[in-house]
Amino acid sequence: MSAPFAKGPAAPADLPRDEAPAPAPGPGPLDEAAVRAMVDSEQGWIDRRIFWDPQVYALEMERTFARCWIFVAHDSQIPEVGDFLTTYVGEDAVIVARARDRQVHAFINSCSHRGNRVCFAEAGSARRFTCNFHGWSYALDGSLSGVTAEELYKDNPTFDRSKLGLHKARVESHGGMHFACFDPEAPSLADYLGEFRWYLDVLLDNDEGGIEFVDGNIKSRLKCNWKFPAEDFVGDAYHATWTHSSALQALFGNIPTMKADRSFQVNANGHGWDFGLDFISNAATLCEPEIVEYLRENEVRFAERLGKMRSRMVGSLSSATVFPNLSFLAGHNTFRTWNPKGPAETELHTWVFLNRNAPDSLKEKYRRGVMLTFSPAGIFEMDDGENFEHCTASNAGVVTRRRKLHTGLGLGSEVEHPELKGNVHRNQVNEANHRAFYQRWTDLMTAPNWADVPVR
Amino acid sequence: MSDAGKSGAALAAGVDRDLVFEIEQFLYREARLLDEERYDEWLATMAPDVHYWMPGIQARYRADKADLISRTRMAYFDDDLDYLTKRVERAKQTTAWAEDPPTRHFHMVSNIEVEATEIPDEWVVHSLVLNLRHRNEAEEQTLTARRQDLVRRDETGALKLARRLIRLQQTVLQAKNMNAFL
Repeated sequence: MSAPFAKGPAAPADLPRDEAPAPAPGPGPLDEAAVRAMVDSEQGWIDRRIFWDPQVYALEMERTFARCWIFVAHDSQIPEVGDFLTTYVGEDAVIVARARDRQVHAFINSCSHRGNRVCFAEAGSARRFTCNFHGWSYALDGSLSGVTAEELYKDNPTFDRSKLGLHKARVESHGGMHFACFDPEAPSLADYLGEFRWYLDVLLDNDEGGIEFVDGNIKSRLKCNWKFPAEDFVGDAYHATWTHSSALQALFGNIPTMKADRSFQVNANGHGWDFGLDFISNAATLCEPEIVEYLRENEVRFAERLGKMRSRMVGSLSSATVFPNLSFLAGHNTFRTWNPKGPAETELHTWVFLNRNAPDSLKEKYRRGVMLTFSPAGIFEMDDGENFEHCTASNAGVVTRRRKLHTGLGLGSEVEHPELKGNVHRNQVNEANHRAFYQRWTDLMTAPNWADVPVR
Repeated sequence: MSDAGKSGAALAAGVDRDLVFEIEQFLYREARLLDEERYDEWLATMAPDVHYWMPGIQARYRADKADLISRTRMAYFDDDLDYLTKRVERAKQTTAWAEDPPTRHFHMVSNIEVEATEIPDEWVVHSLVLNLRHRNEAEEQTLTARRQDLVRRDETGALKLARRLIRLQQTVLQAKNMNAFL
C-alpha cells in the first residue's frame, strides 16, 4: 500500500528527545497485560488511558465496584425500622433499608419484572417498595411481598416468589459504617479493610458512643473521572497548600507547613491515609473555636482509647480514601463517596459526622464548618473540582495520552514503624498512597477471582 | 409568610408602586454587583444580622412527614455576615484558581412580588433567579432558584437584605462547584 502523503522532511536531530518511558499503547484490546502495563506502581508511572478509556471504565465497573465493599450508609442515617435511603454501588442504583429484623439490607433498586426503579425518593420511611409499573411490591429486606392479581400466576411453572426478590447485596459494617458487596466470593469486610480498620477507629471509635451523621447530604456532579478525587484524598497532601492557597490566605493569612518528620502516609489493601501528628490542623480550618476546645478537652481521653500515636490523628492535617471511592477528612469530619457516572463524570455525595456523645451545639458547628470549607460551595473544595475536571478533559487528546503521568513523589520513603500498622512512609507530602491505590486497582483489574487478589 | 387568605388588595396594602419599584431596583443592582464581582459593595447591601440560606434540596415522597427543607440538614450556604465575608475574601485572592480567568456570571432576576409584614420597614420579597456561569472555553452551568427575601429599610433610609432563602431547583447540583451567590 502506498503512502497517502509524500514523506516529509526528517525531523531535525536536535529536537528534544522524549525522556519519558515508551509511549503508552493506543486503545488496543484490553487484556491483562495491557492493564498491567498501564500502572507502574514501583516507579510511579500512570497511563492516562485509565482516566479516559470506556473499555477500562467498563472493566472497572465489573472488577472493582461490583466486587468491592462499597460504603452505602451509616447506622445513624436509618435508625428505625422502615427507614431507607437510595444510593449507588458503581452505576447500580441500590436501596438501603432497615427491615423488621432491625438489620440493614441493601438491594438493587430495580423491579424483577420489567426492571423499573421501585424507589424514587432519596430518603424516607416506608413499609414496602412498590413498583409504579404493575404494582409488584417488595419488603424492607428486598423480598417480593406482593404481586398484583397474583392468581394470574397460578400454576405458572417459572413464577417462584422466593426467587423474584430484589437482587440483594451482602452487607457488613465497621463502627456503624455499612458497606455493601455484590460478590459472594469477596472476603469479609474485616479482611477487605485489613489493617486499615485500626486507622478507621481513629474516627469511628475515639469515643465510646462512636459517631453519627448530620441529617441530609449534598450531591454534586463533576465532569471528572472518579479516580482523580479518590487519589486526591488517598494521599495528596502535596496539593493542599497550593490548590487551597486562596482559602488558607482568606482564613488565616498564611500557609501552614507540613513537617516531614512529623507526618506519614500509611496504606493497607489500597486504602490510604496521609496525616500529620499535629492533632488539630484540619479541625482548626472549620473556624469554630468550640470544635477545637472540644478536641483539646478530650485529648487525654482519646489517647487512653487509641494510644498516644493514633490520638494525634483525630483532627490533624490529613485526608484518606477507603478503596475504591469512600473518602474522608479527619478534623473536618466529612465523609464522601465518588460515584462513577461514566469515564468522565462523577457524582459526589458529601456528609458531615461527629461524635454521638459530643455536645449538641457541636453538631451545628460541624455542619456549618464543613459547608464553609469542604462542600461544593466550600472555599476549599471549589478549587478542587476545577483540577479534577481539567485533569480528565485533557486526556481527550490522542497525543496528550501518549505521555504517562509521573506519580513518583517519595519513592524510597517506606519505613518500619514500631506502632503504625500497614505500609508506612515518612512525610505525608508523598505519593506512596497513590502508588498503593493504583497497585490495588491493578490487582483487582487483572484478577479473574478474588483468590488471585493479594493482601497488600 | 403564607399567601393563604390574602387578597390582592391586602397584599398591596402598605406597598405602593414606588416601593415596589425601589425594591426591584435594589435587586437588579445587587445582581449587577455580583455579575461585576463587586463583592465588597455587595456585602454592604447586607444587614448586620443577615441570614443567607441555600439548603440542600431532597427528593422525598409527598407522604413523607419530614420537612422539605430544614435548618438541621446540610446546606450550600447557611451564612451570617462573617461567613459571607470569608467567602468573599477567598474569591479576592490572586490564588483563587477557579476564578482566574474569571467566571463570567449572569444573574437574571424576575417575578418580583413585595408583601408587607407586621414591621413597617420590612417587606417579604419573592423572586426568581436564573444564574448562568461561563468559564474557560466552553463550560456553561445553569442554576435556577426561587428566593424569599426579607428586605429592611435601615436607619439611614437604605434598603438592606436581612434574610434570604434560596430554594435551588436541583437536588443534585449539576456543577463541579458553587462559586456563585444567588
